[in-house]
Amino acid sequence: MASITRASVSMPSLSTSVNQSQRRISGMNSVSFPVSGRSMIPSLRLQRGLQVCCACQAKQETVDKVVAIVKKQLALPADAAVNGESKFAALGADSLDTVEIVMGLEEEFDITVEEESAQSITTVQEAADMIEKLVEK
Amino acid sequence: MLSFLRRSYLNFSFMNPQYCCLSRNFSAALPPLLPVQLPSRMETHLWYVVPDEVKSAPLLSKYMELLPQSERDHVLGFRGDQLQKSALLARTLVRTTIARYQVDGHLDPRSLRFKRNIHGKPEVEWETKDGFCPPPLQFNISHTSSLVACGVTINSLIGIDVEEKRRRTKNNILAFAKRYFTAHEVEHLNAIPDSELQQQEFIKLWTLKEAYVKALGKGFSSSPFNTFTIRASSGIAVETLDSPQNLTNNWQFALLELMGSHYVAICLERQETGGAGKTLPIKLTARKTIPFVEDELVSGTNAVVTIGGSVTQF
Repeated sequence: MASITRASVSMPSLSTSVNQSQRRISGMNSVSFPVSGRSMIPSLRLQRGLQVCCACQAKQETVDKVVAIVKKQLALPADAAVNGESKFAALGADSLDTVEIVMGLEEEFDITVEEESAQSITTVQEAADMIEKLVEK
Repeated sequence: MLSFLRRSYLNFSFMNPQYCCLSRNFSAALPPLLPVQLPSRMETHLWYVVPDEVKSAPLLSKYMELLPQSERDHVLGFRGDQLQKSALLARTLVRTTIARYQVDGHLDPRSLRFKRNIHGKPEVEWETKDGFCPPPLQFNISHTSSLVACGVTINSLIGIDVEEKRRRTKNNILAFAKRYFTAHEVEHLNAIPDSELQQQEFIKLWTLKEAYVKALGKGFSSSPFNTFTIRASSGIAVETLDSPQNLTNNWQFALLELMGSHYVAICLERQETGGAGKTLPIKLTARKTIPFVEDELVSGTNAVVTIGGSVTQF
C-alpha cells in the first residue's frame, strides 16, 4: 500500500498513459518519469509532506504485479501480506522459486534479466526497481 | 534474557503444547552430543534432520538457545511456523554437527562462529589461539521444508543440494530449461517422453547444478546455469562451456535418493585419483539425527540409495 508520503493521486491526463503498457512511459516526451521516484515534477507537488509522483504510481502497479507473481509461485493465499519490503527468502522462496519468479517477471514485463541482476534482487521492491530500469531501456 | 527466550519460544506457534508432557524433559541441560571423528581426507559425512520428526517444543526452544542473537533474529524473520522451524533446524544442524568433531576440544555448538567468504559462502571462523591450527573443515547445508542436510569434508570443497522428488515447477520444464540450462541438457530432458520421469530428471539436474555452484562457492552469478553442462550418462561430470573439450576433472558428484522421497546432490572437489587419472569413488557416511536426542547411521541401508556417481557407503 502507498505510504502517506507517496500517495498516488489520479491525474486524468497522465494516468491514462501510465495505465497503458509500461513501455510507453519512456516514450513520453512531455513529462519525465524519474527512475528513482524520489524527484518530482514540480507542478504535481500538492503540499509539503504529500509528495505525488507519477513514477510512484507506475511503481505501485509494478510492485503489485511482482507481488502477484510471487504469491502465485509460492502458493501464498491471496490475502497474504506481501509488500515491497517483503523478502523472497523470508516468504519461503528457495533458489528454484527465485529463478521461477524471475522467469515469471521476464514473461510479464517482456524483459531479460541477467544472472548478476537476478542474484541481487532479494525483495519485491528490488524486483520492481530492476524491472523499471529494464523496461526503460 | 530469559524473558526474551520466552518470547521467542511463544513465537513458535508450531510448538504444540501437548507435546510438552509427552516428550522428554528438556528443562534440564541438554545431554551431550555424540562426538564423532573428523572425516578422513577421502570421506564425506552427510548429516540430516527430518523436520516432521522434531516435534518437541522444549527441544526446539533449546535449539533456539544455541544460536546467537543474529541467527535467532534471522530464524524469526521467516514467515510462518514451518519456515521458521526448518530455518532453526538448519542452523542447529550446522552448529551441532561441527561441534561433534570436537575441534580443539570444543564440544559446545554455542561457541562456534561463522563468517562468509568474499562471495558470501558461509565458513567457520575458528578462534585464533596460539598453537591452534584449525582443521581444513569444509561444510555446506541445504534445506527444504521437509529435509535439512549438512555435508562435511576435510579439505575438499563441498556443495550439497536437497530437493523433494515430487517438486513441481510452476513453469513448463522445457521452457524453463531452454531459458536457464544448456542446449545439451535441454536435449536430454526433451528426449524423455514420460512427463513424470522428465520432472524427476529435471529435479536431479537442478540439484546437481546447484551443488556444483555451491561447491565453487563464488555465487550464482559467477557460474550461470547455462555456462556449464552436467552430463550424467555414465557417471556424472561437469563440462564448462568455455572449455568444452575438457570435462572439468576437478569435481566429482554423487546423487542420492534419501528415504525414497528426496534427491540429494553432492559435489566435491576431487582430492586424489586412483593413479592414471582414475577416479576413486566417494566414501560416504550418512547419519540421520535429531541433535541431542538420537543419531542413526543410515549409510548402506535403503534410506540412502546411490542413483548417480561413484559412491561407496560406509
